[in-house]
Amino acid sequence: MINVTKFPYEPGDHEAEKASNSYLMSLIALIVGLPLPIVNLIATLMFYLGNRKGTYFVRWHCIQALLSQFSMLLINSYGFWWTMIMIFGSETLSSKYISYIIVVLIFNLTEFIATIYTAIQTRKGLHVEWWFYGTLTNVICKSGA
Amino acid sequence: MKNAVVQGIVIVVLFFSTLLVLNQIDWMTVFNVKKATEKTEEKLGELFWEISKKTEREINNQTVTNSIDSIVTRICKANEIERNNIKIHILYKTETNAFALPSGHLIIYSGLILAADNHAELSGVITHEIAHIELHHVMEKLIKEIGLSVLVSMTTGNSGGEIIMETVKMLSSSAFDRSLETAADIQAVEYLIKANIDPEPFANFLYKLADEESESMKYLSWISTHPDSKERAEYIIEYCRDKNIKSHPVITQETWDKLKESLQE
Repeated sequence: MINVTKFPYEPGDHEAEKASNSYLMSLIALIVGLPLPIVNLIATLMFYLGNRKGTYFVRWHCIQALLSQFSMLLINSYGFWWTMIMIFGSETLSSKYISYIIVVLIFNLTEFIATIYTAIQTRKGLHVEWWFYGTLTNVICKSGA
Repeated sequence: MKNAVVQGIVIVVLFFSTLLVLNQIDWMTVFNVKKATEKTEEKLGELFWEISKKTEREINNQTVTNSIDSIVTRICKANEIERNNIKIHILYKTETNAFALPSGHLIIYSGLILAADNHAELSGVITHEIAHIELHHVMEKLIKEIGLSVLVSMTTGNSGGEIIMETVKMLSSSAFDRSLETAADIQAVEYLIKANIDPEPFANFLYKLADEESESMKYLSWISTHPDSKERAEYIIEYCRDKNIKSHPVITQETWDKLKESLQE
């Protein structure tokens, strides 16, 4: 699921720090933003916008972090509003809701662990590509831009 | 790009298949949710009944309580409803009203009994309220109108008495959704047929109240909380048309007269 591969060039220490920060940004926002799932997406997006003219390595990792946050936003938002309707609306607690929350927790935990791991590896200057997100980032982010 | 699409599909499939597998487990039983919900409902029922008891006087006259008990027992027995789950409380009040509280508490006002011409009419209204209880409409309505968070805070004592009073008032004076009322009517007719009580007097009672509706709406709470009585009476009659109905009186005319007499005293 996670591949440590060779980047087209050797990133400098400053680049590695910035790229690693893009992941840390989503982690910090996750803690601050709970239970509102959109906060970490906004934080990652802002970090990306601030670095969109940065080097290829920094841009690449900012996009990977942003993409992963976007899909988490979808599943988390659904869970968040379901919970709100249950607390304040007509919905009652059901097995389906519990199943959904467990799946959300599994996916969030996986993403959380992957983010920490990637932040550490990227700080060392290593290039970490995630399953799907890495492939998609390769399509979106081009070195010559 | 092709790789990204395939991998994206794999992630989506992984998400939904995990969900599908987890959906096979009855988490409500695993986490004892049903038990906890039942406890909350029980506490709410007791809380609401305590409040109602404080504001109105309960009728303990043996003739009244025994007669109503006979009707309820017949309905419960014939429909495999746990009799102990239905807690009947008869209160002195001129309003023509009956309503269900959580955890099977059923409040009947003396005004309703006096407004009924025979025991079958009264049985119809009681059965309609039992249907609301059995179909879990009371909690559904409470959660919808008040919200689960407020209800739980009531049971833990974090809610003021006024909110509880207002909630009881809401339960006694506002209607359920139209779909829930229809479901309760149909279920009530089924219960009545199984209990060998003719549902027609129930429909007649609705017709009768609908006629009086315009002039005395403010006194007839059960009608004001159960609108479109004429329409309801019509579909009850329509629903019973093809049914094989056997009618055996639950109480004698003499007992019924005695019951009304005791209430008028």
